[in-house]
Order: sequence, then C-alpha cells, then structure tokens
Amino acid sequence: MSAANLPRTESNVLRGHEGAVLAARFNANGEYCLSCGKDRTIRLWNPHRGLHIKTYKSHGREVRDVHVTPDNSKLSSCGGDRQVFYWDVATGRVIRKFRGHDSEVNAVKFNEYASVVVSAGYDRSVRAWDCRSHSTEPIQIIDNFLDSVMSVCLTKTEIIAGSVDGTVRTFDIRMGREISDNLGQPVNCISLSNDGNCVLAGCLDSTIRLLDRSAGELLQEYKGHTCKSFKMDCCLTNTDAHVTGGSEDGYIYFWDLVDATVVSSFRAHSSVVTSVSYHPKDDCMITASVDGTIRVWKS
Amino acid sequence: MSSDDEDFVFFGKPIEREEEVTTRKKKAISEASGQLRTSLPVWKQEVTDEEGRRRFHGAFTGGYSAGYYNSVGSKEGWTPQTFTSSRKNRAEVTKQSIYNFLDEDEKADMEGRSVGTSMQFDTFGFTAAEIARKQADKEQQQRPSTIPGPVPDELIVPVTESIGVKLLLKMGWRQGRSIKDSNKNSINDARRQARKAFLALSDNAGSKNAYSKLNEEDDEDVSDPRADDENQFSKTMTAHVFNPKQDLFGLGYDPFKQAPEFREKKRLRMSGKTEMEGYRSLSIKAKVGPGFGIGALEDLDTEDADVYDSGYDFQDTYVQEIEEPSKVKVDTLRILNVKKDDVLPGFKAASKSEGSLERFDPPVIPKDFIPHHKFPAPLGVDDKNAETPPPEVSPPEDNNLRVLVEGVATLVARCGKLFEDLSKEKNQSNPLFDFLRGGNGSDFYIRKLWEERQKRGDQAKLWEDKKPQSSEKLTAEKRGKLLGEKALERSSIETSSLVASLGSVNVQFKLADTFTSTPSANEQGDIRKPFHDDPEKQKRFEQFMKEKYEGGLRTKDSGGSSNMAESARARERLEFEAAAAAIEKGNSAKGKTATNQLLSDLSSGLQFTIGGIEKDKALQSEELIAKAMYPKREEFQWRPAPILCKRFDLTDPYMGKPPPAPRMKSKMDSLMFMPDSIKKAKVEEPVVQDRQEIEKEVENEVEPENVERPVDLYKAIFSDDSDDEVENSTTSNQVVDTEKKIEAANTTLNRLIAGDFLESLGKELGLMVPPENIPLPENKTGSNTAHKESVNANKVNENSLLAEKKIPPTQNVVRNSTNDCLNENLFVDGSKIAVKDSVEDVSKGNISAEVGPGEERYTKTRKSRNYGSSSEDERSRKHSKSRRHKSRKNRSSDSDTDSDSDDYHRRSSSRKKDKEKSSSRRHSSKHHKHRNSSSGKEHSHRRKKSKYDD
Repeated sequence: MSAANLPRTESNVLRGHEGAVLAARFNANGEYCLSCGKDRTIRLWNPHRGLHIKTYKSHGREVRDVHVTPDNSKLSSCGGDRQVFYWDVATGRVIRKFRGHDSEVNAVKFNEYASVVVSAGYDRSVRAWDCRSHSTEPIQIIDNFLDSVMSVCLTKTEIIAGSVDGTVRTFDIRMGREISDNLGQPVNCISLSNDGNCVLAGCLDSTIRLLDRSAGELLQEYKGHTCKSFKMDCCLTNTDAHVTGGSEDGYIYFWDLVDATVVSSFRAHSSVVTSVSYHPKDDCMITASVDGTIRVWKS
Repeated sequence: MSSDDEDFVFFGKPIEREEEVTTRKKKAISEASGQLRTSLPVWKQEVTDEEGRRRFHGAFTGGYSAGYYNSVGSKEGWTPQTFTSSRKNRAEVTKQSIYNFLDEDEKADMEGRSVGTSMQFDTFGFTAAEIARKQADKEQQQRPSTIPGPVPDELIVPVTESIGVKLLLKMGWRQGRSIKDSNKNSINDARRQARKAFLALSDNAGSKNAYSKLNEEDDEDVSDPRADDENQFSKTMTAHVFNPKQDLFGLGYDPFKQAPEFREKKRLRMSGKTEMEGYRSLSIKAKVGPGFGIGALEDLDTEDADVYDSGYDFQDTYVQEIEEPSKVKVDTLRILNVKKDDVLPGFKAASKSEGSLERFDPPVIPKDFIPHHKFPAPLGVDDKNAETPPPEVSPPEDNNLRVLVEGVATLVARCGKLFEDLSKEKNQSNPLFDFLRGGNGSDFYIRKLWEERQKRGDQAKLWEDKKPQSSEKLTAEKRGKLLGEKALERSSIETSSLVASLGSVNVQFKLADTFTSTPSANEQGDIRKPFHDDPEKQKRFEQFMKEKYEGGLRTKDSGGSSNMAESARARERLEFEAAAAAIEKGNSAKGKTATNQLLSDLSSGLQFTIGGIEKDKALQSEELIAKAMYPKREEFQWRPAPILCKRFDLTDPYMGKPPPAPRMKSKMDSLMFMPDSIKKAKVEEPVVQDRQEIEKEVENEVEPENVERPVDLYKAIFSDDSDDEVENSTTSNQVVDTEKKIEAANTTLNRLIAGDFLESLGKELGLMVPPENIPLPENKTGSNTAHKESVNANKVNENSLLAEKKIPPTQNVVRNSTNDCLNENLFVDGSKIAVKDSVEDVSKGNISAEVGPGEERYTKTRKSRNYGSSSEDERSRKHSKSRRHKSRKNRSSDSDTDSDSDDYHRRSSSRKKDKEKSSSRRHSSKHHKHRNSSSGKEHSHRRKKSKYDD
C-alpha cells in the first residue's frame, strides 16, 4: 500500500459519548466498531454509516477497554470498577462479572475461541477468566509484573502483555515459558503485527518500538508524536506497511514501517487521541479522543 | 422409509425406550382426563394426579396441597371427633357461636373491648378515622354499592377533628391556612391597638401631621399581612403534579421497555430540547452518579479526577457544534413548538415580536490576559537602586529611643507611609516621637527605615521570583527570556560561586555567608551544580549543601522551598542527598570526570522530576547505552494452568508433572518454624560455641560432663538457684585421662541400657518403681547428678535444635573429627570400644544399678552439706531433660540409626517411667564421679582450652 492510500479524510464523526472516549475497536470483520469511555458506557456503532446502534451500561466507573468475540456474539469490557464484564451483544445484558482484580483493569481481550477473557490490570497482574464455566474466579493469575500492566494481546498460543515496568512479556502456553523483553521504558500499548512476527510497543518516552518476537530484537523506533502520560494506542495498518498512532496533541501519525519516517500526520482531534484502530481489510481507521468523539477516516 | 421398513422382518416384541413409554402413558392419561394438553398454552395447563385431581394451587389458596384434599373438610366430614353420646350421658346439643371461630383480637373488636385512644385525647385523629372507616364498612354491608369491596382509604375522611385542629380553630385558624401568619396578625393587631391609644393621647396635642403619617403606616401594615395571607394560603394547598398521558398507547404500556436507549431519543425529539443541552445536563449527571458495583465507602479518589480535562476541550467542541446547521434547525423547530404551545385559540402569534432581546457577544478576552491582578512591587523596591542610601548614623545614646525608632521603622517599612503619618499625627505632643518630625534621632530613623525597606524589598522580590516557578511551568529562565533579561552568570570560573551566583539573597543569607568560610564551595565549581538546568533548584541545593557541611547561621525558610508541597520537598531532599553523596564521592576519588559522569547520570536519571530539561550530551550518551542495553530478553519457566491450556486448545506442557513445590504456607509450618527462629535468636551465641562441643560429645560419647560451656544462659532458663552446684558439678566431674573416659563411656552406656532395660522389665511385669522408694539423702545426690545431667540436657537441646535446623549431626562429626587433633582420635577409638562393650553390658544393667547405692553414701555426705533439698518438681523437670539427653545420646551412639519417630516416642513416654529410669541412672552416675580429683580438674581445663584454640 502506498502512502496515498492512507486513511486521511474524515468520513464520519461518531458523537454520543459524554466525556472522553478511552478506546475504540473495530470488530473482527471491520463492519462495526465499539467504543467505551469515561461516561461508563460502551457503545456499538456502524462507523461506515455513522450510526449509533446500542449502548451498554452497567459499569460503575469509566470503561477502559472493550473487545468483541470474532462471532460478534459476546463482549468483554473492563474499567475502573475493577471488574471484567462479559456481555451478550444482542440483549445488552451482562452475562458475568469477573471480580478479582485488586485495582483498575486496563485492558481486556478474548482468546481465539472466545472461551477465555484475559485482562490486564493496574494491580500488576494479568488474569485469565473462563467464559465457559460459571466460575467467576480467574483460571490463571500471572503476577510476575513489577508495575501496572497496560495492554494485553493474545495469539493462538500466547499471551503477550506490556507493562509500565518496561517489559513486554510473552507467556507461551504451549511451551510453558515466559519471555520477558525489557525495553527500559514504560510500555503503554502493545499491538501485534498482522503476520504475528512482530510486536509494536508504544512506550511512554514518546517512542513506538517495533520488536521482533522470535529474537527479541529492536527492529525500529518511531518518534515524532507525544506520548508521555496518557494511555494511548498504536497499531499497524492492515498491510503492515505503516505504523499509526495518536498523539497527545490530537494529531495522528503515520510512519513508514521500514525506515521510520513520518509519512503523514494531521490534526484529527482537539485533544488527546486515546485510541486508534485499523480496519482489518479496508483502508479505514477509527480514532477516539478525549474530546468525546470517534472519527472514522478513509482514504 | 416405508420401503425400508418393509424390507425388514421383525421378531419378538421390540424393546421400547423408556421415554417413549412414559410419554405415551402420559398422553393416555391426559386423553383419559379429557383434555389435550398440547393444545393448551403452558399457563392454562393444569397438573393433575392420576385421579385427575388438581395438585397444584396458587400460593394464596393453599399452596401445593393443603388440608384434606385442599379443603377444610376431613375424612369423617364435619363430625367432631370428641362427640360422644350414651344413654346415661346424653350429648348436649352444643350451640356453636361465632366466637368459637374468632381470634382473640377479633373477639375484642366484636365486643368493643379493644383499647384505643378515646375521642377526648385523639390528638391526631387516628381513632376517629378508624371509627369512620368501620362505620363506612358497616354501611356498605347494609346497602351494597355498585363498587364491590371495601372502600378505599382515601375516600374516607375522619369526621371528627383532632384536638389540635379544634384548638387551632378556636384560635381563629381556618382550614387551608398556614399557622404562622395568624400570629403575625395578632402582633399587628396589638400594634394597631397601641397606636390608637397613642393617637387618642396625642389628639390633645393636635398634631395632624403625625396622625396622617401614622394612618398611612397603619394602612400599609394592614395591607401587608393580607398579601401575606394570600400567599400563605396558596402555599398550603397541595400542588398536584399531573403527568398527562399524551400518547395513544394502552394504559401502562411502555413502548421502550425493551429498548430503553430509544426513550432518550424520543424524549429529545418530543421536548425539542437541543442535543447539546441534553448532552450538557447528562454529562453533569453522569459525573455525579454513584458507581455501580463499587463499595459505598469507596470515595472518589484522585484517580477519579478527570485526567483528560484540560479545561478548554468541551468549550471547543461546544462552539464547534453551535456553528453546525443542524443546531439551527433544531432551534427553529423549538421555536415552532413553543408557538404552537403558546397560541391560544382565537389568537394568533404576533409576526413581529416586540420584546425581542438583543444579544450581545461576550467581550473578547485578549489571549494574554491573566485573570488575576498583579500588584506592582512596593515602591521601596523600585526606589532601592535609585535611592541613595542615607548616611550611616550611629544610634542615639538613649537606648529607649533607639528601640522605639527601630520598632517604628520596621512597622513603617511593613505598613507603608500611611503608618508614619498616622503615628505622627497621633503623637504630636509626645516628645518621644520627635524623630518623626525631624527632631532628636531623625537621622537614625531615616537610616533604619531605609534598611528595613531594603530588607523587605529583598524578601518581596525573592517571594515574587519563586512563586511562579513553583506554581506554574513558567520558570525564571523562561520569563527572563521573554523579557529579554540576561541570564544570571553561573560559570565555573567564578571564585565565590556561591555568594555571587545568588542574585538576590536575603540579609540573613548574606550574614550566614560572612560568618562562615566557603572554601569547599569554590573548589568544585561546575560539579557542585548538578541542577544547573533549574536555577531555583540549584539555589536550594546549594543551601542544602551549606547546611549539610558548614556551620554558621541558618535561615529558617530553606531558600524558597517553603512554598513547595511537602512531598515535593521530600523528593527534592532525596535528590539533594544523592547529589551530595555523588559530590562527596567525587571529592574523595578526585576523579573529576567520573563525578561529572555520575552527576550527569544523576541529573538525567532525575529528568522526569525536574521536567522540561533539554537533553544534554550525557543524556544522549545514556540513551545510546540504553539502546545497547535494551531490549533485554530473559526467559523463565512459566506454568500455565491446565484449564487455561484446555481453553486455548493446547496440551498442557506440564501435564503429568508434579506441581511446583508450594510455598510453605500451612499453619503447621509457620508454627514449627516460628519458635525455632526465636530460639535461634536467643541462643545464637552459645550455639556457635556449643556446636563443637556437642559434636565432640556426640563423637566421644565418653565424657558427657567434662566440657566447659557457657552455662549462665541455661542456668537462667533451666536451673533455678543452684549456681554453685553447676560449677561444682562441671568442675568436679572432669575426667583426667582417656582410659577413664572409656570407662565412663561404659558406665554411661550401661546406665542408659540399664535404664531402658529396667523400664522394659517394669513394663513387662506391670510394675512401676516408685520414686518415693529412694531415700532422702539419695534424693539429694540425685538432684546433684540430675543437675549435672541437666547441663547435658541443655546440650542435647542444642543438639536437637541443630537437628531441626537441618544440620545433620553426622556431618558435624565428620567436620569435627578432621578439625580436632590426635587425642580426639583416641576418643573415637574409645567410643568404639564403648559401643562394643555396651552390647555386653546390656545384661549387666541390673548389676550396675545395684552397685549404685553403695557409692551413693560416699558422695552423699559431701553433697548434702552444700545444698538444701531441691523441690520435687524441679528435680523431675531435670530428670525429664536428662532423659531426653540420654535418648539423644543413644541415638548418636547408634550412629543415628534410631528413627525420629522412635526418638519422639521416647520423649513422650510418661514421666513416671522417666523418674524410674533416672533413679536407676543416678546410681550408676556416681560410679565415675567419685573418681574425679581436683587435680584432674585443672588439667582437663587446660586441655579444653587447647581444643578451643584448634
């Protein structure tokens, strides 16, 4: 994909959140998107038509992350109320609440089969919750971290989590190994490349780092944006050609994956861009911001 | 299918599935009962038993199955079972009355025996209401109305009024009025009366003016309460809020029941509220609302504060949205709505409204406007440089005057010129204040005033300098740049860097400097400025350094840090300490580059606390280092939970392997280890010393008492008051040569074995050798030996301690044997012999025990002189210890073949056996005791010393 195809024109603005939007995520096929924010709601949108479909309310504090199963039937969300909620998408009811985190929960993800929810919290732990049984106890607690765990990613066999202690830890379930890559800087967000070979780690020193997962080498560093105190997302485009991420000044940056040059940057929001999510197939991107809007960008 | 069926031939009766059978049966039953269940909806189906009777009833009609077939009847019908009638004793026809079937309270009600408030005292009218209700009920029963059932409570109003109401009515209160104003009225009345009386009096004076004036007042007064009256009247009326039904749905139907998110939209559309307004109000609500799923006690803490709130964000969006056309549309829509609502039938809304408000935009605030006023610095400060200081004047001779002048000068400097004028005016005639008017001491006053102003000006300036830095991001440097000021010189060439670099120091500071020499300050120069990026901080740091290393006067407020937060100050102090340590290190090493590096590291490491520092070279170099260092990869073992593997559809890599050793968490462990650790701490020193001896002892086996050891601790613990006894026993029982030792070994072994043998014999015969059999003098000696052994027991305690500490005694033996010299080897040989002998001696146990008493007499005389009798229980305690010691020794002699459990059993054997055993031991222990000579004592002493030296 050439730089010309980058989603730079605003196609829709999704308004409705009252206060900061903390995360916006496409669903598995990119047809819908979910957002959550400080107003304690999760909202389901059709970003392509700019429609607000449903609101999910039950959280007692801000909702920090949301994830939807590949079959779009269930949601999981987490936030400041220290709980992980497991929702039914259609009815909007909470199926289960997983309590156990001692502090705010920063990130949540389903595994491939949507049978496990993995959450990462401020309590320095990553917990795995079973969706199949009725137990609300975690089936696994990983508390090797030294500081708040900010972000978690799952592959078929691994749990990858980034923490403020500067490490990106990969827990290989198949091998029974923990691989810890210390970056020396607080890791804000991690995101997997589409081929699964690399992991992108947004650090709090205003640098996004690209790591090779097999060897643990630092492949590239992307700089230019500001990311110092907010939890912000970064991700790769669906072709893995560019790296994109928000900035605290409301800008969105696109870097070339290989030579780390800023291909494009433009002001997208009036305030901190908290979340970016790239469409799995099309040249489309959604960004969420503290200004309360979610914007849909297309090329 | 049918063709398939035809192909098969069936023999016999096919086995039917159970389900099918049951369903078929059910069907048959249902058909028999004449109703086809499947045709009916679920809630209409009735569950019946095999006889077709209804089995389930509603909760209010008796539940599952109540009474006799859900009736009040019985098998026998209504005939009471107590009914008996015979020829002699005819049953009376008992007349049943309704009272037989009523409860107590019902009866009370019926008979009017219920207790209630009498009408006389019915203050609140409850009883009246009750009676009225009953009356209504009665009436209704007599002539049934169209509405069945009891009359609703609201329709019945008590007929009588409460006593309070009656009172109020008597006082002139009427229904629907509030109580307050009648009082006011009465006051007004009283006033009016008073006025009239006054008028009548003043009529004579004939002042018409006053009359008319009063009359007017009166009128006003009269009119006022009336208005009040009306107001209050309207106030007491209950306001009925109507919620009119405006839609066409059926009563109670909620179209948004399943989709509440549309209700909001609908409401917005209906009410014509702008989206923005709704947004604002909702956002406010959302912020205040209580959390869900969070404890009520958990208050909103700092984390809850909106970190994203930068102040202007919302306004921005707000403005943006106003500019959108959709908003305008909504606005016009609302106007239309309003018109529709307001227009009365027959009236038309004016096309041109008169009272249209002209709107003015708020004044545009300049971008650089700061919303708080900054007063210009006091005049004195500005004048300070221009004003030439008045000549130095010696203070006046009069001490009182001097004090006065100084005081006034300070006050004037603080409060301004106004104070001077005031005091001048006040004390015009006072000769003491002549100096204000140019009299005596005026020169001194002027000088003093100038000085004070100087001082104050400095402080004020300092204050001004510091305030913005601590509160805002704007540092002095930044501001200086903005204003085009020159940065303060702070080069390393400057000799008196400390004094010169401080642009504005207060007088105290200066004083402190002059009083103290600053040699060390000049040496370092640049090194001493680890915070050169932040001059304020550097200043504070310098002061900190001074306070740390130098004497002299000190300022109370530490260089402007007083306006910092406590935590910030604490953190800074830590930084300073670190920096100071680094400097000191550099000083001692005299390696300038090293310190520089260190300091730069330090400052760069503290970068996030300092904030806004430009990257310097050191930082960059560090970054390079970091780059080289990171990312660092480490690998650990991690055990995923089996269920997690299952859920991820992976095979558990640790399947079949035992789970990792759990941390010692069980209560048992903590109980067992805790006291040990305490003991360890207690006897640590002796343990170290004793270990050798114990091991030696274990090895030697021959001389249990010959080792000198620090007994005082054990004395404190185990023995009560027999200090000299211990001394005696330890010193007097020392063995001189090895042959004797071997003998002793034999005897001890004999003793032990004999004890055991006796014990077992006693067990077999079912006999117990009571300790009372032993004569008193023997007891005394026994106590002596027992004590002697108790010392050993202590050692054994030690030993057991060691064993618990997982130090196998055998190991120690090995170590010891290598350490110790030749005679030790001899002992080993001896012990071997002893062991050999012991086997033979088992049979001789009895004999040795018998030998005992003869020797007893020998020692008895000596011992009995020395000590009083020790108490029985003390002795027994000692015995128990000595027994343990014995068992321990036994173990070691058998080269630890005894299992722990064995040992444990021995320990837990009863005390009686214990005594019995020890008594037998007592006999034998004397065997070698009497051999000890005082000359051998010293000898062995010396030998032991040398052993220690080894």
